[in-house]
Formats: sequence, structure tokens, C-alpha cells
Amino acid sequence: MELPDVFYNKPSYVEMASGNKVSRQTLLCGSQNIVLSGKVIIQKGAIMRGDLANVRTGRYCILSENSVLRPPFKKLTKGVAFFPLHVGDHVFIGENSVVNALQVGSCTYIGKNCVVGRNCVLKDCCYVEDNTVLAPDTVVSSFTKYGGSPGKCVAELPECMQELMTDFTVNYYKHFVPEKI
Amino acid sequence: MDNGAKAKKEVSYQASIAVGSTVCKDIKLQGTVSIGTLTIIHPKASILAENGPIVIGDGNIIEEQSVIANKLPADANGEPQTLFVGNNNMFEVGCVCEAKSVGDNNVLEAKSYVGPEVEISNGCFIGAACRLTLPEKLPENLSVCGSNHLRKIMSDRPAPQTSQKDHLAKVLPNYHHLKKPRQLTGS
Repeated sequence: MELPDVFYNKPSYVEMASGNKVSRQTLLCGSQNIVLSGKVIIQKGAIMRGDLANVRTGRYCILSENSVLRPPFKKLTKGVAFFPLHVGDHVFIGENSVVNALQVGSCTYIGKNCVVGRNCVLKDCCYVEDNTVLAPDTVVSSFTKYGGSPGKCVAELPECMQELMTDFTVNYYKHFVPEKI
Repeated sequence: MDNGAKAKKEVSYQASIAVGSTVCKDIKLQGTVSIGTLTIIHPKASILAENGPIVIGDGNIIEEQSVIANKLPADANGEPQTLFVGNNNMFEVGCVCEAKSVGDNNVLEAKSYVGPEVEISNGCFIGAACRLTLPEKLPENLSVCGSNHLRKIMSDRPAPQTSQKDHLAKVLPNYHHLKKPRQLTGS
């Protein structure tokens, strides 16, 4: 399926040699702790909290407007720590979503207005519906669709989820183009 | 950038920030705000004293994108009312608090909303994405969560986040410009 072109204002985005497109109106705290592997789109108002712990995203990640990616806080027997947050390849995170997960697997779709609770683990190829609230420490297994509040498994996904997400994110990146003047 | 500069010009604030608090510079303040000691405010939080002053107590954590607003109507004499926020509260990412008053040891989880006619007592827990809009006074140690807004009185109040506060107070100054603790008047 071919996606329509999404236009962005060229001066308000930074394009890196590795193909990352990052809006200037984002808050990337502790940028030395943030790794964007390439072809990542970070849109206006998104927040990445690299100051709390390392944040690593794979290729073809899309962070929509006002989404928040923040490493989860965990209490240990000895002291406290923020844990590094790993996001896989071909991940889409919708508008106004808050991701507090420990790990987000590859080929995962997170909808709009979601809250992914502390220390959740999202495995590869899963789908979180719009307006879902995942309770802390939820594990979303591969090829499942979660929805509701608190999030529960509502459906299973076809085996082609990997291809679908690869196709979707690559297409999105290809059609995320600067405005023609 | 232009919009931000314009907005800053329009909105003026008077903030008094106590010594020992960690308040990032990149926050939005409006009106008369006072912030207690050991309080931690992450960047991109908003404290909007629209209709009257806001007094925030000690040891609160206010995370990014959260909004604390004073939407109280003027009292019988036409004087603006003050919104008091107690101690050791936790306002998580993207929550909106327009409550009448907030007690101590409460947790407002991510994306929760508390309307202007709600009074939050002590030890309340408002779950992620819950909306409280009807006029009421929440009983102590109340927990509200889920899409059905299931309610329960907890046997204990939520655990204080002392360790997290200590950690944040250590880490945040390394990465952010902080507001200096003193009487501030900005524009």
C-alpha cells in the first residue's frame, strides 16, 4: 500500500548523514546517551529522556508528535536506577503516547494516546491499539494485539506482521518529504 | 522558536523557588507560583496560576508535559483563591491537575485528568488516563484505575518516592539548566 506524502517544514528539521530526520522542536535531553541508528523520524514536540538513562532506537523508528520516550525507573534491593530503554527497528509510536517500557521489540506498532507503563516489555511484532494503558510490568508477547485500560490481549496478528511493519515504516520514511516551495 | 519567544513575552510570572529544589529552566510558568524545597520539576512541565496563585509544597515530583493549573473561581469577596498542593505528590508524564486542592502523598499517573471541582485529599492514587470531572472530595487512600474507573480504598498510602527524588536531584543538574532558588520575577 502506498502512503500519501507527509510534508514537513524543511528549516525546522535537522537531517543527519545517517538519514535521521529530527525536528528542532523536540526535547532530546542528554543527547550523548541517545543513539538513533539511522532513518529515524522524530516529530515536533517529542521528548526523549537520555538524561535518565541510555535510549537506543533501531532503524526506521517513527516518533510522532508529542510522544514521550523515557527510561523506566526501578527500585532495586540496593539503591535505585533508571534502566536503559531499547527500541528495535521499524517501530511506530503514535501521537501523545508515553512509553516507559524497558524494551520495545522490532516491528511494533504503538497507537495514539497510549500509556506504556513502567518496565513493560514489548516483544517483536506486536500491536498496541490507540488509547491503551498497559499496566506496569506487562509483557506483550509477539504477534498479539493489546487494547483497553488496563491493556489486555484482544486479538492475534497474522504472521506477516513483520512485512507489514517494515513496509509501513519504510514507506512512511519515503513519503516524509520537505515542503515544496 | 518565534512562537516560544512571543509566548514568553506575553506571559509574566513571579516565582519563589525554595533552596534544595530542582527546577529545570525549560518549564512554563504563569502567574504567582511558589515551589517548596526538595521538589523536582522536569523540563516541559507547566504550572499555570491563571485565576490565582499556586503554592506547591515540599518533595513533589512533577514530570514532563504535566500541567498544574489554578482554575478556581474567585471567592465570595471577589478575591482570587490559592491552589495549595501538599507534600510528596507525584505528577507523572502528561497529567493535568486543575483540582481545588491537593493533599499529601498522592500519585497522579500518566495522562490522568482531575477537573476543577475535585478536591484531592491524602494518599490518593489516580491511575493512568483516568478522568475525574464531577464535583467531589476524594476520601483518603482512594485508588481509581482502569477504563471503568474502578475505585477502592487502599489499606496504605502509596509509597513515597524518596529514593527516586534523591536520584533525580543528583542527575538532573548534570543535564539541565536549573532555575536558581530565589525570589524571581520574569517575563
